[in-house]
Amino acid sequence: MSSHLPILLFLVPFFMGVSMPILTAKRPALCPDITLGTVIVMVIVAILNLRFVLTQGPIEYALGGWTAPLGIAWLNDSIAALIALTISVVSLITIVYGRVVVTTGLEKSVPYYTLILIMMSGLVGLIFAADLFNVFVFLEVAALTGYALVAASGGKALVYAFRYLLLGSFGATLYLLGLSHLYVATGTLNMADLSDRLPELMTSTAVAAGLIYIFLGLSIKMALIPLHSWLPDAYANAPSSVTPFLASTVTKVALVAWVRIEYSLITPTVEVSAVPVLVLLEELGVIAALVGGALALIQTDLKRMFAYGGVSHIGLILIGVSLGNDTGFAGGMFYLINDAIMQAALFMIAGAILHYHNASTLDDVRGLGHVTSPWLTASLIVVAIAMVGLPPTGGFFGKWNIILGALEAEHYVAVFAVVGSTLLTFGYFLKVFANWFHQPQAVEVKTIEVARELRFSLGMASFAIIALGLMSDTVVQYLLESVSRGGI
Amino acid sequence: MGELFQTLLQRPNFVVFVILFLWGIYIMAVHPNLVKKLIGLYIVQTSAIYFLVAFSAKDGATVPIILEGAAAVDPSIYANPLPHVLTVTAIVVQVATLGVSLALVSAIYRKFGTLDEDELMEKLK
Repeated sequence: MSSHLPILLFLVPFFMGVSMPILTAKRPALCPDITLGTVIVMVIVAILNLRFVLTQGPIEYALGGWTAPLGIAWLNDSIAALIALTISVVSLITIVYGRVVVTTGLEKSVPYYTLILIMMSGLVGLIFAADLFNVFVFLEVAALTGYALVAASGGKALVYAFRYLLLGSFGATLYLLGLSHLYVATGTLNMADLSDRLPELMTSTAVAAGLIYIFLGLSIKMALIPLHSWLPDAYANAPSSVTPFLASTVTKVALVAWVRIEYSLITPTVEVSAVPVLVLLEELGVIAALVGGALALIQTDLKRMFAYGGVSHIGLILIGVSLGNDTGFAGGMFYLINDAIMQAALFMIAGAILHYHNASTLDDVRGLGHVTSPWLTASLIVVAIAMVGLPPTGGFFGKWNIILGALEAEHYVAVFAVVGSTLLTFGYFLKVFANWFHQPQAVEVKTIEVARELRFSLGMASFAIIALGLMSDTVVQYLLESVSRGGI
Repeated sequence: MGELFQTLLQRPNFVVFVILFLWGIYIMAVHPNLVKKLIGLYIVQTSAIYFLVAFSAKDGATVPIILEGAAAVDPSIYANPLPHVLTVTAIVVQVATLGVSLALVSAIYRKFGTLDEDELMEKLK
């Protein structure tokens, strides 16, 4: 029974999402509660699944009992289980938050909650899928619901959602082309089979073209610079209640899909005309980390600033997983888990400021530290510490392991990029705090009270960031074991 | 140069694929009208499906259903079912994308009263 936990994790949100319109036909007010209940069940299942994987080791789950060459395989290892748990916890936090900070018209909207649940099922499928075509299908399930969620509140967001759709679908088409190239060359789509057959075929242009198409397609989805242009506009204009969820999941899970492909197919010895492919990917990560940080530094709109911060972190993670050693890889994956929670927390704070103070730019938040709730200030400080990467938060240990991996591989450019992006992150948070704690002209100090749900979400997120830092040894150890076992 | 043409002419399907793909990208990039951009996207997606169908085509092959009582199975007389299944799924995904994008386009038209990208950018400012 326990071996069926991954499919349960997929079916719970899918079933509830599909049956939402029927369940709430007479009582639309129930939507938020049903969604919350579903996500709580998901968190429990994800914890059970993680426990199962840690005790039993990774297993390949055959859908419908059809094993690999004929059927569709899902791989349930500690990386997938950890990320599934992260996604579930982040959804729980953001849905509780969405009960307070919600755009008018969406509070009881059945389509909105249906979309959120179906998106979650798509993300879970994407995490576990070990078959290239299965990845494509779940990528599109998650992306299509994402386009609709960005546009959920109408207005300006519609145009940006349309741009997101154009680029995202183009990326998916490139991915489809890539996988058909690989299928032509190898006759299989299963990642385990591919990693057996591909090494001998690496000189073939079809394989190289296929991998390039797949990488291009997924890098649009994960918003890797220079293919990130859809992200800041879409996230800055999407309804405040969905941005934390989107920002913390979609790009990260697309990166997980790429990491699975990269880890099983591209070894450090793979070269294209004497250039090692992993080093090439690492340099792309270096560019994304530095340029993303620099672009964040020049923004005046808070949501856009945080969106560019997320773009630069995608680069950091890509550096970590492309170093070609286990330390860097585990560091990158650990940073990905942290980044999911940090992005959720950042966009929750930005949304809450917009909701309570109607402030969205750096000028608007001037002096806000004196009038806003201490919960907002405290969680902003915790997230800033984690984003900059100071101990004892999880962000520090992620960056630390990436740097250790880079030193181990003697890639000093990567070390420089990690440190440089840390400084840039420090720079833009300095800008935020300089405005936040600016002494106001008038001396009327009247702090506002934030809703209980918001305090729960912000508290949970800050707690998770610090807890990840304190437990970093254990988590990194699990990741390392999964890597050295040839897992993923 | 002559050799290049010869190789190209031997693979007419792939030439068609390349033309469709580039044509679609061109339309997506150049036309300011949102519906035309969608048509471009649709052509790009169709070219990917055309590619899938082109390489899985097989002369004289039949449906991959093994008749009862057939002695030995000869793989050369059956078409490979997998690429066709992929094609059908990809078409389904494409239709879903088209549905969402047309809904977005009509919402944009109702809200802003135009589908021209330049005019939209003016109104967004």
